[in-house]
Amino acid sequence: MKIKRRSFLILGSLLGLSPYLKAEEVSTFDQSFKKVEATIFAVQMHMFPEGSKLPSAKSMQVNTFLFETITHKSYDRDIRAFVLEGAEELLSREKGRFVTMTQLEKEKALRAYEATNYGSSWLERIMTLTMEGLFSAPIYGANKNEAGWKALNAYGGYPRPTTKYLGV
Amino acid sequence: MYDVVIIGSGASGGAVAYTLCKAGYKVAVLEKGRLMKREEFTKDELAYCRRDLVTPNLFDEYHTIEEKVEGKWVATPTYESGWSFWNGNIVGGSSNFMSGMLHRLHPDDFRLKSKYGAIKGANVVDWPISYDELEPYYALAEELVGISGHYEPHKYEPKRSTPNFTQPPTKENAVVKLLDKSCQELGVKSLVTPRAVLSRDKGDRNACYYSNFCGSYGCSSGAKSSSREALLKPALATGNLTLLTNTYVKQLESDKDNVEYAVVVDTITGKEKRIEGKMFVVAAQAHESARLLLNSANKHHPDGLANSSGELGKNLIFSGGGSGQGELRKESLKEIKFEDLMTTGLFVNRSVLDWYFIDHWWDGKFKGGSVEFMFEHQNIITRARKNNYKDGQLVWGTELGERVLKRMNEQKSIRFEIFNDWLPNDDCFVSLDPTHKDKYGMPVGKLRLEGHPQDVKVGEYIAEKCEKILEEMGAENIYSSVSSAPPQNLVAGGCRFGNDPKTSVLNKYCQAHDVDNLFVADASFMPTGGSVAYTWTIYANALRVADHIVQRLQNRPI
Repeated sequence: MKIKRRSFLILGSLLGLSPYLKAEEVSTFDQSFKKVEATIFAVQMHMFPEGSKLPSAKSMQVNTFLFETITHKSYDRDIRAFVLEGAEELLSREKGRFVTMTQLEKEKALRAYEATNYGSSWLERIMTLTMEGLFSAPIYGANKNEAGWKALNAYGGYPRPTTKYLGV
Repeated sequence: MYDVVIIGSGASGGAVAYTLCKAGYKVAVLEKGRLMKREEFTKDELAYCRRDLVTPNLFDEYHTIEEKVEGKWVATPTYESGWSFWNGNIVGGSSNFMSGMLHRLHPDDFRLKSKYGAIKGANVVDWPISYDELEPYYALAEELVGISGHYEPHKYEPKRSTPNFTQPPTKENAVVKLLDKSCQELGVKSLVTPRAVLSRDKGDRNACYYSNFCGSYGCSSGAKSSSREALLKPALATGNLTLLTNTYVKQLESDKDNVEYAVVVDTITGKEKRIEGKMFVVAAQAHESARLLLNSANKHHPDGLANSSGELGKNLIFSGGGSGQGELRKESLKEIKFEDLMTTGLFVNRSVLDWYFIDHWWDGKFKGGSVEFMFEHQNIITRARKNNYKDGQLVWGTELGERVLKRMNEQKSIRFEIFNDWLPNDDCFVSLDPTHKDKYGMPVGKLRLEGHPQDVKVGEYIAEKCEKILEEMGAENIYSSVSSAPPQNLVAGGCRFGNDPKTSVLNKYCQAHDVDNLFVADASFMPTGGSVAYTWTIYANALRVADHIVQRLQNRPI
């Protein structure tokens, strides 16, 4: 099961093998990401809406966290590409209009995407990347004033990090 | 030239360095990773538990894993699978990140074959030493590195040369009251877990401060008895230790009888150089130690250094068993107050050794294993992510909030881990991958990792008994999982020690049969693994090996 993870990520893509895997220049990735960032953020906001017992995606800058995280060198480069491609796939499935859909339409679109193996992996990944933001140490930016921890009544231990990623 | 060059700074490398430096010898420890200081060990879940920041990036350094596909062995690189076999590549190695639930081996673990007979398909052999020979070093390690606990006589608790632990047990959560009572009801004896964590200050190391985030994290008070805190720091204080960090060892150059120098690369500058010594001690963690010796083949040792037996890399072992857990819920909790259960930071500190050996009129006579009880790891992101599927769909929106909050605040999961022998067998070994090389140009280790069917049988036998304990405690949603998948952090074997140079790599002092000035000090020497975590045995044996090296250095010019 573990052995096959990455080949599934790559071969499972409906768009084929990613050009980003080979892209040396980060700027190529940045440009492509710009085209899907609103879509990803819309998915995050749908998963973590306002009025929930958890802080909302909108109030916590989880989109900034997501971008910084996947572009950090500690992040698995295949998964980085997968985050982008999965968003492109959603954009393409919904003909570019996911962001402007109503809540009900979004729910329907995401559940339909989830029915594919690829979509379900991607949504799980976005969920993980959002929770990583909400519940990681505040230094990473998306657990503002420890609001994520306060909501859960579960707090990170001491000492708390004062630099991201051990300063690497 | 150094008196002794040690490759690796983990539990065994630290123990050898400590002894030699204290004895006045000039020692170099070569460590691939960097030095992290005590104050750098923050409780950063993202950095320590969710990214490879204290282990190599798998695209730079990796292993290949062999799996049988349609009758053929197929090797997959770990950069494909994401299944890392690195366990902490910084000064102190993986001992920085251990949970530290330690036990000594039982005397019968040293003579498994004589005691229980051969098992078909398993390469079980007796050790060339007995428990009595290692016991003084278990005692020394306990005192030196600092293992806290409380001794209670038990039929499977090995005898001790000292009456009790000098460090009392770490503080315990109220759940032990419920756990002890439940065990008692079932006729099971729960014992206090010896833990490589200080309950009292020791020198410049401060007692545990119960951070709630211990295993998988480094310790910022120095309480955890890592090689770095307990051994390397005092070794450095002697002035005899040269700690060479960011130093990757490519190979050992040797003539027919002796290693002459290590070829190393500075991982920052890429510059290559030689490190010369009178003696060499390999302590790179089992699978990597064998790999280094295989990579050191030359015209005198064409199949790898110290491999005239052909046994190098063979009989790699892990730990068999598995784990299970159940939820102690607010609404159904007995014996203790819910708020006491929810107190954070305190340990569960309970082990069961009742099934270490099974001799039952119906079940039969066979080697069993040990059990550790603990809370589910308290990592917040990990816990928040768990069990968020309903009817095959990911839960999100307001329902997610309610679900996660309930899980985090209205129950606490109690967990057990089973450790039983991983039987050595012909399909569990490390060799060199013929095509894949790491970023330094050296062939990577290829791991074949098959378990023996007996391992799973034993694990399941014990899991069933542990589930009954959780049931008695009133836990709900109980499940367990026993599999033949190897835990990559519990690795040993590959350089068996033995008296016969034809069937073993090392002699009883862990000195290579073939190469006079070469020792392997980590868990590689173990022909069978016992049914507990390896670390106490690694510390003890490395202290024994170090004593032997000191004797050699004193008695004989090289």
